[in-house]
Order: sequence, then C-alpha cells, then structure tokens
Amino acid sequence: MAKEKITSSSTAEYFSKNLQQVGFSSPTKAVLTTLKEAVDNSLDACEEAGILPEISVEIHKMGPGTLKNTDLLKVVVSDNGPGLEEEDIVKVFGEYLASSKFGRGRCSRGQQGIGISAATTWAQLTSAKGAKVITKTKDMRLAISCTVMVDIKHNRGVITDRQTFKSDKPHGVSVEFLFDGRLQLQGEGGILTYLTGTALVNPHLTLKYKIGEEAWQDIPRVSNEVPTIPDAIEPHPHTMKLGEFIAHSHLFGRATVATWLKKGFSRITDNVIKEFITNGADKKMFEQSIDKTADEQFKTLFSAVQKTTLMAPSTKSVMTIGELAFSKSIRRLGEIDFFAVMTRKPTICDYKPVAVEVAIARLQNGNQNPDEQGPVQVLRFANRVPLQFDKAACAIVRAIETVNWRAYGLVQPKGGLPTGDYVIAVSMVSPFIKFKNASKETIDASDELVEEMRRALIQAGQRLSRHIRKENREADLENKTRHIEQFCPILVNALCRITKAPESRKKKANEGLIKLLGRDVNAARKQVEEAAEEFRVAREQGKVHHIDDGREDLEAPIDDTEVDAAAEGDAEEPARAAKGASKSGKKSKKAASKPAKKSAKASKGSAKERSL
Amino acid sequence: MASSENDVPKLSKEMCNRLLSDLESARRPVLEAVKCSLDNSFYNPKVGFLTPGDKRVRTELNVSSVQKMSRAIFLLEIFLRNLETGAVNTKREIYYIAKGEVKHDPHFGPLDFADQSESDSVIDFICEMLECYREDLNCFANDRGGQTYSQQLVVTETLPDGDKAVVDLSSLGTTPFQPKNRPQSLRLKAKKKIDFCLVVESEGTANTFVANGFCRRHNCILLGAQGVPSNAVRGWVKLIQDELSVPIYFFGDLDAYTLQNIYRTLKAGSAASLIRNADFSAPDIRFLGVLPEDIKKYDLNDYPVKENDVQEARALKKAHDALKNDPFFKDKKNKGLSDILNWLIKNKRRCEQQAYFTVDPRDPTMPEKIIVEKIKRGDYI
Repeated sequence: MAKEKITSSSTAEYFSKNLQQVGFSSPTKAVLTTLKEAVDNSLDACEEAGILPEISVEIHKMGPGTLKNTDLLKVVVSDNGPGLEEEDIVKVFGEYLASSKFGRGRCSRGQQGIGISAATTWAQLTSAKGAKVITKTKDMRLAISCTVMVDIKHNRGVITDRQTFKSDKPHGVSVEFLFDGRLQLQGEGGILTYLTGTALVNPHLTLKYKIGEEAWQDIPRVSNEVPTIPDAIEPHPHTMKLGEFIAHSHLFGRATVATWLKKGFSRITDNVIKEFITNGADKKMFEQSIDKTADEQFKTLFSAVQKTTLMAPSTKSVMTIGELAFSKSIRRLGEIDFFAVMTRKPTICDYKPVAVEVAIARLQNGNQNPDEQGPVQVLRFANRVPLQFDKAACAIVRAIETVNWRAYGLVQPKGGLPTGDYVIAVSMVSPFIKFKNASKETIDASDELVEEMRRALIQAGQRLSRHIRKENREADLENKTRHIEQFCPILVNALCRITKAPESRKKKANEGLIKLLGRDVNAARKQVEEAAEEFRVAREQGKVHHIDDGREDLEAPIDDTEVDAAAEGDAEEPARAAKGASKSGKKSKKAASKPAKKSAKASKGSAKERSL
Repeated sequence: MASSENDVPKLSKEMCNRLLSDLESARRPVLEAVKCSLDNSFYNPKVGFLTPGDKRVRTELNVSSVQKMSRAIFLLEIFLRNLETGAVNTKREIYYIAKGEVKHDPHFGPLDFADQSESDSVIDFICEMLECYREDLNCFANDRGGQTYSQQLVVTETLPDGDKAVVDLSSLGTTPFQPKNRPQSLRLKAKKKIDFCLVVESEGTANTFVANGFCRRHNCILLGAQGVPSNAVRGWVKLIQDELSVPIYFFGDLDAYTLQNIYRTLKAGSAASLIRNADFSAPDIRFLGVLPEDIKKYDLNDYPVKENDVQEARALKKAHDALKNDPFFKDKKNKGLSDILNWLIKNKRRCEQQAYFTVDPRDPTMPEKIIVEKIKRGDYI
C-alpha cells in the first residue's frame, strides 16, 4: 500500500465537489434546485410561524454565463415569513447540515439542511458571488442586508457587505442568487411547472412571479388556513437497521436502556419490553445505562425487537392538503374542464405513516384527437414539494402505470401512462419519505407504498369515470342517432336493388328498420339519463366537480364504501360498471338514497385525522 | 355454403331477401358465420386438415352494426356486378372502386373507407356470411409464390370462355410455371412417372436448385413456397397431391415460424381459413428438414434465437401456445412435429435451409445430394 497522507475533508468540501448529488447536475437543474430550495425554506418558515405565506419570485437573465451555453441568472425569492435572526443567517445559507428539522420526524419540506447551502455554493462556484440576503424580524428596527459565502474548507458561513436599512416590510426574508444556469420554463423540469405545482399543493400560498421581461403573474391563495404541521413522532424500531439502532442510543444521551426505548421510539411500553425479554433480550440490560451496554447486548436486543410484533406507528404526525383545499387549488392549474380529488386516510407503509392525495383534472381546449394525444401530465409531490426529475423510477409513476385507466374511460397503452389532456397530481406526505437520492427527486417505490398510491388513484379514477361515462353515453347517443339517419336509406336501397324489390317493400323495410333502430336509440337515451343522474348524485356528494357548475361548496364527504371495494384491487369493478350502465346507474342511485351509515362512520374517522 | 361462383349471386340474393323480409316486419335480422379461430378448430388425422367446430359468430343488426352491414351490402353489390360481367379485381382495386362510387354518388358518403384495411375486413365478412372464398367473388390476390419447375409435368387450364390451354413445363426452359389463385381450373398430367415433389421454403433456393440441374437429374416437380404459402401455393400443392399421387416433401428452415406458419398451413390449413382448408391443404406433405438431428449429422451452422428479435420471440411464444392449444400439434400422429417444437423451445436455436451449402462449399449440388439421400433413406417426418 502506498504511503499517502490521509486527510479529512469538511462536509462543505464534499458537497462542493459533489453538487450533482443534491440537484446541481446541469445548468437547467441548477436553476430549478436553487428556486426550489429558497421557496421550500420560505414556506416552511411561514408555516412554522403560522403566517399565511406570500412569496415573490423574480428570475432575470443578466448576460452570458461563464460556463458553456449558460446565462448569468439572477434569482430573487422574497417572503413575508418571520425573518431570520442575524446569527442564523450564516448557518442557514452558509453551513451544510445546519438545520432545525434534521431527523425530527415532521412533515416539513426541508429535512437535512443541505439544499440552500448548496445553492450558495453553486452561485459562489459559477459567479464568485455568494447569496445576498435581506432579513427583518418583527423585533428588528432596521432590516439587515448582507452577502453570505460558504467557507468551504471549514463548512461555515462568512458574512460580507453587512448593511442595515429601513424597510417597509414588517418581517420576512429576501434572498438573491447570481449564478450560471439555463432557463427552462415548460416541461418536466420547467420553472413554470414547478411554480404551478407548488401553488397546487399549497392552497394557502399567494405566489407572485416575474420571469425575464414578462409581466408579473399573480396566483392568489384559495385557502386562508395555515396548515398546522402535526407534532413529530419518534421513530418506529422496525424501520431501523442495527447500526442506526446503536447510533440512536448514543445520540439519546444518558439514560437506562428501558427509558431510551420507551422515550426514543414510538410504540414501546413496559408490556412490550416484557415481550422483548420473552423473545430473547437480556432482562438485566434494561436497567443498565446505555453507555455501559456492549454492542453484543445491543445486537441481542435488536434481534428480540425484530422478533416482536409491534403496533404500527401513529398516523397523527401526517398532514394532508384536504379535499376541499385541493379542489379549490386545482382550478389554479389553468383552463380545466372537470376534476376529481381524493384524500386517503393516513396509513402505514413500511412502518412509516403516510398520507396520499390525488387530483385528476382534464384540461380544456386540449387536443381532442386521441391518436395525437401524448401521455398525461404527471405532477408528483413529496411533502408538498414538486418532484420534477427521474420520474420513471418514482413510486408515483409506478403506481399510475399499475392502474387500469381504460376502466375509467382513459386511453392507456399497455403498462404505460394513460394518454390525453389530463393532469394527474399525486401528493405524498410523510415525516419519513424514503428518497432514492439526496436531491430528493424520486420516491423509492416500495410495494406497500405503490399499493397505497394505487388505491388512491383507483378511487380518484372512479370518481372521474362518472363524468367520462356520462360524456361517452352522450356521444354514443349522438352517434346512434346519426347512424340511423345515414345508413337506413343506404342499406334498404341496396337490398332492394339486389333483390329487385318493388317500391312498396322498400317503404315497409325502411319503416321497419327505423322502428328497430329507434329501440336502440331509446335504450341509449335511457342510458344517458341514468349516467347523468349518476353524475348528478356524484356531484352532490362532492366526488366529482365540473368547472362550469359555479359551485363553491366543494366540501366532499368521503364515501369509503365504494372506495374499499376498489381498494381491494378489484379494478374490474369499475369496468363492469362502465359496461352495464343501467346496472351501475341503479347501484349508484341506491347508494345515494341510503343514509350511508358506513360512509359516515368512515368519514368520521378520517375527518378526525385529516382536520388541518 | 357456396360451392362455385354460380351459387354466389343466388345465395346473395337469398340472403338480401331474408334481410329485407326481416326489416319489413321490424324483426332484427341476424347473420351467422362459422367461427374461424383455433378454439373452433378440430383435427382428425384421417381427414388430415383443420375442420371447423359448431361455434358460430352471430351478427345482429343494430345501431352499432348497421354501418358494417350497410358497407357489406354496398360491396356485395359491386361483387355481384363483377360476377355478372366477368370482371375481376384485387382487394386494393375494390377499395378504390368503393372510393370511386362514394365520389360519384354523395349519398354513399357515410360508407367511405378510411383505408384498405376497413374494406378488406368487410370483404372477409361477406365471405364468412356466404361461406365462400373471395375468389368466388372474382376478387383475387396477386399470384405470389409457387413458381414450379418440372420436365415431366403438363398443365391444362380451362379458360373462362371454356377454351383449354395446355402448358408443358419441360418446354419452358428456365422459366417457371406460375400457378393461379384458382387451381380448380387446372388439370395435371405426368408425361413420365414423377418420383416426388419438393416444396422449398425459399424461392431463391428453389431457383438455385433448378439452375444447378436438379430437375434434369430427377423426375420431379420442384416449387418455391416464397414464405407463408398463398392460396395459390396451397391450392396448387393440394392439386399435385390429388391428381398425381406423388410423395410431396417440404424443405425449409428449422424454426418455430416455418413449422407453424408455413409447413402446418400447407399440410393442414389454418384456423383463420377453416372453411377453405378442405380445398387448400395437402395432408400428405412430409417435413424433410432441416431436422434437429441434421445439425449434428451434417455439422450445420445454427445460431441462437435472438431474444430481442420480436418476430423470433413471438414465434417461440406461439410454439408454446401451439403445443398447448393447437389440435394439429396436440394430435399423436404429429408427435414428430411437436417434438421438433419442443426441441426448438428447449434449445432456443435455429438453422436455415441454406446451411446445407456449408457441408461442401465447393460442391454446388451438395444440398441436392443430401435432400435426395434423405428422401431415399426416409429421413423425414
């Protein structure tokens, strides 16, 4: 082995050399990641302080960049949050892994404290300028303006150009980055896609943005409630590996093993500890101090923990957007025709609490030719942050692909995404989202998680299908009526020519044919009426919304009865329903006329946990 | 079932009359046709070809099927006109004739075909309803495949006007005889005893054999199938079998596609043409090779089936299905053939007919020698 000097590097040094791992792998991604990190921080800060967020975003091209095929861009993000204390500025913008949220088990957007420092580093590396920060808390008389640089060697922030000035704003932070990047507006990695996506899953957000020479755009909030982020929960022991388990004990501090287990984890009680002992754990170790516990003892304890059946963790730490807010927010996506939203009750996947919400909307004035329509637009969200890259491996896309959308009236190539002018938005919220990479672009597709998302999508698809079915029936009726007018005379005339039948036979046959086909049309008309009735009932129940109905009372009680049937994976059910319109019409009427005890019971349970 | 073109106008008129009567009394007309699919196919080794079962497809006139029915009657009228005047057309021409009718009479507008596949499917529908061949409607495919060489064969063709044309194949030199899509009008005679008939999958290889003097050295009939046999080839081989009673051998590639799509179709017909298998299959034809054992015996160059080749992968999958569902391969009498399919599935290898040229690259007649030797030894299935 060569005798080379082994040196240590700082965290900042590591990330400055590996910025691609945290979302700065290309000039295009650099713009989006910078914007995303700044907006995430602003939203988290506002929500922590109970402030309705108002965020403005400005992006300008300042000239050519130093890197090949790039522009020098200025990105400014300002918020009305509580503002940063002066001593916190360097930590937030100039130091890696300095976070108030690291490993807290809460559904906040930021988790590790890497992103915004990486944005400062990128700006520093490409334009030799740090982040320009302006902050004012409500206790500050004057606002503070400064530039933050990352001291890469020592992983700490350095402030320069500090100034104070009078500001009209009562509080808030404004951050400005000057860096090399390439601006992409539309498409999966586009800035506008990000901004509209952020507005969709944050109904309480007022967003203003100005990109280049374009005029300011304003997306006003549709909800005046600041989401309350539920309290953090302790980790569940079944989610850990042995190394993590031991590390967790040392981070906990001085305590006995029993205290550490009961306070450091969820779902461990005295009775559970007795079960650990039954499953092979050493009885004596529970009263000894963590510091005095040997690794071998931890190993025995860990295997006893794994052998013991534990209650699933609580779902109280999970928050949702809610169907009402989601319904209002989806209208901000653009010109949409109709939509359906679905909020699932929080549940446990891989021992982690998870809540999945789905919104499906059809865009108006889209391309009506099914042969020319591309795949649906998929909007993915994790803890209310849009995910815009590497969609193929994401749990959300996997889940969408496993649903049989044809059963709900959408066109879908085998095993692929459905096609058409639809937007499918899937939001997943969890304090412990398992991402595939540090840049948080792809949710790991575990079987349980994909199944939970699939169920949500099936339910939303069912709701949507009521509208599509009604449309299809109307088109079918129109088609049938047209067929009678067009083909009856042609068919009868041709038959008469071949058989050389007299005029009297022709007349009689024409009458008979119209009578025959009229029966079919009447049956089709009846089907349209039934589908319309079914749709009306669904609309009254808030399961599907037409954008022209002008209704504002979009509160949607959740009927889990139909949902559970589909959630059992019976995707054929809606297909059958779509085929037998008369049957499904009766079924739906029946369901609507019932007081729906079951659904009331189900929604009671879910409403409790969903209340924001 | 229509037995000749003379029946078609009669049957058509009867069918139209029935339709009209049903309509007059506001009754829903129903048209029935034989279900042409594998699940309605039966194979009896004594019969020798796939025959239809009892399953039938019913088409009821309703708002959804009125367009299809109208289009069928519209094309039927064109065919009846052709039969009356003796005009013939291909499917492509019928498509354009239909387009022309629509162009000249706007009332036919709703019947317009967007592409040929639409008019083709209506033609097939008419054939199923009348249980006839499209040739019975004077609608012919181009004469593909079946180029035949022989020094002994004499063909007599009855022309539409009743005249007879006699073709002595030995007088054609290196020009092949091209069998027609309606072999029913041909009669065969052997000038001298014919020992065998060899059907070669590749028409190019058949031409090579002839150029190298195969037909001069052997009393035989040699013809190229040109891939999946057309009606002309199928009917022609059947005619050779029935009229000359000579042993017929098939020489082609060793792969699942050849075995199922080419050889099985020649020997026992196909599920899609259940109603015409009786006239278009030659149950006596034997599979001469390439046989799996030939690879070792003659040290032939074979190669693995490419998993990423869609056609080859599909053929292997079809071979799996055939062993399970195809009555022809399931029958004990064809165990030798199903064994080959099993061998292909297991070994995932294939060998082309031209591989015989590797045996002695300097002897252009080596494949011929092997073939003749195999026939003599009875080395076939």
